[in-house]
Amino acid sequence: MNIVTAPGTAPSVASLTATPAIEASDLVYHYGERLALDSLSLTIPRGRIFGLLGPNGSGKSTLLSILVGRRIAEAGAVRILGEPLSHALRRRVGVVFQEPSLDAVMTVAETMDLQARMFGLKRRDADAATRVLLERVSLADRMSSPTASLSGGMKRRLELARALLTGPEVLLLDEPTLALDPDSRLRLWEHLLEANAEGRTLLLATNDVHEAERYCDEVALIDHGHPVAQGTPADLKRELRDESVRIDWDSDPTAEAAIIETWPGVGHVRIAGQTTHVTVDDASPFLARLFQQSGDRVRGVRIEHSTLEDVYFQLVGRGITPAVSDAEAEEEA
Amino acid sequence: MSSLMAIGALVRRDLRAFFRSRSQLYSSVALPLMLLAILGTGVNDGLDPKNIPDYVTFLTPGMIAMTAVFSSTFSSASYYQDRDSGILKVLLASPHSPRVVLLGKTLSAVIIGAAQALLVLAVAAAIPAIRFHWQYGVVQSVLIAFFAIVVLNLFLSGLGQLLASRISSMQGFHLVMNLVLFPFLFFSGAFFPLTDLPIWLNVLGRVNPLSYGVDMMHLALYADSAHGYFGLPLDFAVLTGLAVVVFYFGTARSVHPDR
Repeated sequence: MNIVTAPGTAPSVASLTATPAIEASDLVYHYGERLALDSLSLTIPRGRIFGLLGPNGSGKSTLLSILVGRRIAEAGAVRILGEPLSHALRRRVGVVFQEPSLDAVMTVAETMDLQARMFGLKRRDADAATRVLLERVSLADRMSSPTASLSGGMKRRLELARALLTGPEVLLLDEPTLALDPDSRLRLWEHLLEANAEGRTLLLATNDVHEAERYCDEVALIDHGHPVAQGTPADLKRELRDESVRIDWDSDPTAEAAIIETWPGVGHVRIAGQTTHVTVDDASPFLARLFQQSGDRVRGVRIEHSTLEDVYFQLVGRGITPAVSDAEAEEEA
Repeated sequence: MSSLMAIGALVRRDLRAFFRSRSQLYSSVALPLMLLAILGTGVNDGLDPKNIPDYVTFLTPGMIAMTAVFSSTFSSASYYQDRDSGILKVLLASPHSPRVVLLGKTLSAVIIGAAQALLVLAVAAAIPAIRFHWQYGVVQSVLIAFFAIVVLNLFLSGLGQLLASRISSMQGFHLVMNLVLFPFLFFSGAFFPLTDLPIWLNVLGRVNPLSYGVDMMHLALYADSAHGYFGLPLDFAVLTGLAVVVFYFGTARSVHPDR
């Protein structure tokens, strides 16, 4: 696959080892009285796929909107590619927003053309880059289609192609696979991995644990606007017990969970409705004891390897389940 | 240079959207012409106003002003469509200040509004029942009317942006625009002359910015002398001054893609 440098510049090898892609220090932001970012500090090296993992309302989208310049932090500082935020710096940063961001009346080609014009690209360069990118995201045959006629997956791919058109060194992605079917997710990730292989840094806000584990080189777990841990998925899980057992009960398992927590070899016990998630050193003796003592109440059992969700629970005391989005929180404020 | 390119792209985009919306295109011209035919003929023949022997021709500048009012309302409302579709976020993430984005959008509103108003003028001029006096000569009068139309649209588009900065919903925006601009249109001299009115209505007419645009067009198209009108120098000074100030502040307003 050719590297689409577009009229901008593709990241050079030298630049990959230079200053970090993103440095945020002591960022503070409120929605009304609700603290969205609580002295958040992060350093994201260049060339990585970096995941911000946390439940809705944890501050991920707020951080991205500050990096994009949509919001201004009340305190703290941000540098992207070693530079403070500025209009000029936006030429080096691409964005794919969480919510749809296409004009339904415009065609695919017009969408790309508007982006090219807004970023001051020369027409010949922009046309060439548009052709390559639309080919790459399998939309070359839809150039004259109105964006309203595209499927959800196609729209996302178009938004990605639009973000890549200007040759950004850093790509900010706010839950880019949200509401996509598994096939569309997979295809989008193929394109994101290609973009990363070209040397672009990807910063991804997500509450999809499996996506973060599978694709991110490094992950920061965010809780209440503050990173509680940062590292590779493997490093973050290193302290964790090997296996996670999901148990479905016939009724509220609070009493059983309290007992299970005292058993040897058991790490953390998390309750979600009539289900418990238990991290254990070894599932076999645990299951034997479970069925011996409470087998009549167990409706189903599944053994999994521990995930970042378990790490998150261990650190924060709750799971990454959708609660309230940043936008909703802002509305409430 | 790059800002000009961005403004050009935004103007082209809005013009394209306007021409694709056939209903908006046709109704913007059909409504004023329909009012001219129905209201103009109805008042002229039914009421037989003694002060205005040719009411249809008198009404034409008012209908041109009304076209500008409608057009600026619709065009300014496209800001909300951009916000709701999410495209505004993308535009604001470009390497340009929000002012460049607003300038592009407002300029397209001015161009669309002026083109619609000029189209109404051109069609009206071709109707035999409408007899313009062209007191300054045809070319000069057309230029004066053209100037009035463009400056009126500058003022109205700027006003639309100012109001949009204070109102979060498109429904609310339409309501306020109608609430503010329709009364202004009624006592602007568009439907009846401002002379010989009760003092309170005369004062309202004089502080109404639209009155100066209508007055300028009356002088260029309908009147055979400046008697009973504000006069071109005052029209020019008030309209231009207000348009520049309102357009400046309208495009300098704060923009938030979520509100």
